[in-house]
Amino acid sequence: MNGAALRRLVRLNVARDRRASVSSVFGVGVGIASLVFFVALGLGVGHVVREKVFPVDTSLVEVVPSQLSLGLLGGKLDQSAVDRLAALPGVKRAYRKMQVRVPAVSVYDGDFFGRRLRMGIEVLAVGVDPDFVRRDVQLGDFSDPGEGQPIPSVAASRLLEIYNKTFAPARGLPQLSHGMVTGFTFPVDWNRSFVAETKPGPVTRSQAQLVGVSDRGLLAGIVIPLEAAVRLNAAAGADATTFTGVALEAVDPSQVPALVEAVKAMGLRVDDQERRLAENAGAAVAITTSAMALLSLLICVLAAFNIAHALSAAVRARERELGVMRAVGASRRDVFRLVMAEATLLGLMGGLGGTLLALAAATGVDMLAARVLPEFPFKPDSFFSLPAWLLTGGVVLGVIAAVAGAFLPARRASAIDPARVLAGQVG
Amino acid sequence: MISARRLSRSYDDGERGQVRVLDAVSLEVQAGEFVAVVGRSGSGKSTLLHVLGGLDTGYSGEVTVAGTALACLGDLALSRFRNEQVGFVFQSFHLVQGLTARDNVALPSFFAAAPPADTLARAQEALERVGLQGKAARLPSQLSGGERQRVAIARALFARPKVLLCDEPTGNLDAATSEQVVALFRELNRGGLTVLAVTHEERLRGAATRVLTLAEGKLQ
Ligand SMILES: Nc1ncnc2c1ncn2[C@@H]1O[C@H](COP(=O)(O)OP(=O)(O)O)[C@@H](O)[C@H]1O
Ligand SMILES: [Mg+2]
Repeated sequence: MNGAALRRLVRLNVARDRRASVSSVFGVGVGIASLVFFVALGLGVGHVVREKVFPVDTSLVEVVPSQLSLGLLGGKLDQSAVDRLAALPGVKRAYRKMQVRVPAVSVYDGDFFGRRLRMGIEVLAVGVDPDFVRRDVQLGDFSDPGEGQPIPSVAASRLLEIYNKTFAPARGLPQLSHGMVTGFTFPVDWNRSFVAETKPGPVTRSQAQLVGVSDRGLLAGIVIPLEAAVRLNAAAGADATTFTGVALEAVDPSQVPALVEAVKAMGLRVDDQERRLAENAGAAVAITTSAMALLSLLICVLAAFNIAHALSAAVRARERELGVMRAVGASRRDVFRLVMAEATLLGLMGGLGGTLLALAAATGVDMLAARVLPEFPFKPDSFFSLPAWLLTGGVVLGVIAAVAGAFLPARRASAIDPARVLAGQVG
Repeated sequence: MISARRLSRSYDDGERGQVRVLDAVSLEVQAGEFVAVVGRSGSGKSTLLHVLGGLDTGYSGEVTVAGTALACLGDLALSRFRNEQVGFVFQSFHLVQGLTARDNVALPSFFAAAPPADTLARAQEALERVGLQGKAARLPSQLSGGERQRVAIARALFARPKVLLCDEPTGNLDAATSEQVVALFRELNRGGLTVLAVTHEERLRGAATRVLTLAEGKLQ
């Protein structure tokens, strides 16, 4: 049977059995729509979790000193330990981190982007090797300018997000973009705290200037050049030689597990709290998505049964007609193909319709969310991710469901004995 | 044109076991003949026609139609044989609802290995031969019984077969319409077509050049 004839007969059959066809297409459409919708939602939310809420750099390993001192063996993160870490196989770079080991507060009283702001907050400052955040630095070269000069500081993008979505609205403060905060200068009093114990020495005052916003920033503090932290620690009489952490950048994320083992063998610890949180949140999203996807697949299976049922009935009703086709030259294979092609068309319509429906639903939900849901941290523009493979997959799966459902009816149709159905009188 | 030798066909019939509907039947039909096969209902007339037309394969014996030995053909080759060498006419017309008369006539082209380029013209020509050129665009539901049977005959003629196999072609028609259809068969036969019709209708019998009787599985 040639393609044109096949298309012609398929169209004829679909048009004649309009109600059954609509029901078949509807079944597939509902299954595919919910599948595409939920998978897109899972992908979209997973994306937000990975990229925004827990922007874990998969090739970074955060090394921290061991809690128990292991005596001579180490556990301490001094320069020689850093050198050894940097020499581990698979390490591309080691970035040293040193916390400023005196408490600090920022007491702000003045103009804050057009509003008057008076408040005091604790400040946690960590010095890092400048290259660690350099790509996010917008102002200057992120080096220690020396005493008396404003200390270049990098804030966390997550901190800015939380400020914009919860803090600013609650306090009536303006929304701030990355560009706006760059250059903002605020006072920092070192060795002063509202809550913690301070060192015996004096309080020293300096300025800090935001020079960038980074995913590698501290959620509850600022990142400053390592040299500045060393200087501040030395001036306060605190430990200015050992580091509070080292971020190891692996050549490739696949080398991270081996790297973690090597670090542990050195008597050091790996801080994987963030990574765990990210993994847990990611797993929660994945599990929820899988459950919904499974449910949707079940709908697709039901749709396949529905098509099987509808086509069985159609084949039974068209027995004589199929017999006539055999009489005028249709082979068993032609009859099989005819039923399968009909299912393919139904599946294609259901798959296309369902995918479009999911697309429309996702757009609708996003629009509704933008209008109805209050602003909250990490609220994305879209909760959905609709990659091309998902859209194509939706259509293809619709066809697969229909074709799977059609298989047995098509087999039965091809096995019809024309001699039996053609002889004698109709009715 | 048609040659059957020691043709037997049995059916499984539940309690009574095997029922032999055709019992070593032999039949020779020359090109250009118009043969009528008569016999009471259930005597195996349809069965004989189906075997000769390549619709039934559960027989034993040798069958050659239009130079083709059917016994050694597979489903594809047999389908092609039906498509090109024989035309069937049934008691109940068996038109495809939803297709116009012209498309019903052209139905064999849907399954042709190489569909003719002039399908529509051929269909029109076949309709003319049965006198329905004016009703090509009608659906089966818009045609009378006699017209439907003439469309079915045009469909059987579409592929220009050498043999026409007719299973009680006037069985569902009234007397006047039967008359027309029988006249049409006679005319087609005069034009060189070999016609084998099974019937118990007098008129059709009268039109045949030879009448055979099927009884007790034997053909006389
Ligand atoms: N597919 C079949 N299965 C079982 N018995 C059949 C089948 N087809 C025909 N028969 C039997 O074969 C006999 C001949 O049938 P048929 O050829 O249709 O007779 P006719 O056309 O002369 O009325 C009948 O007894 C019928 O019941
Ligand atoms: Mg019969």
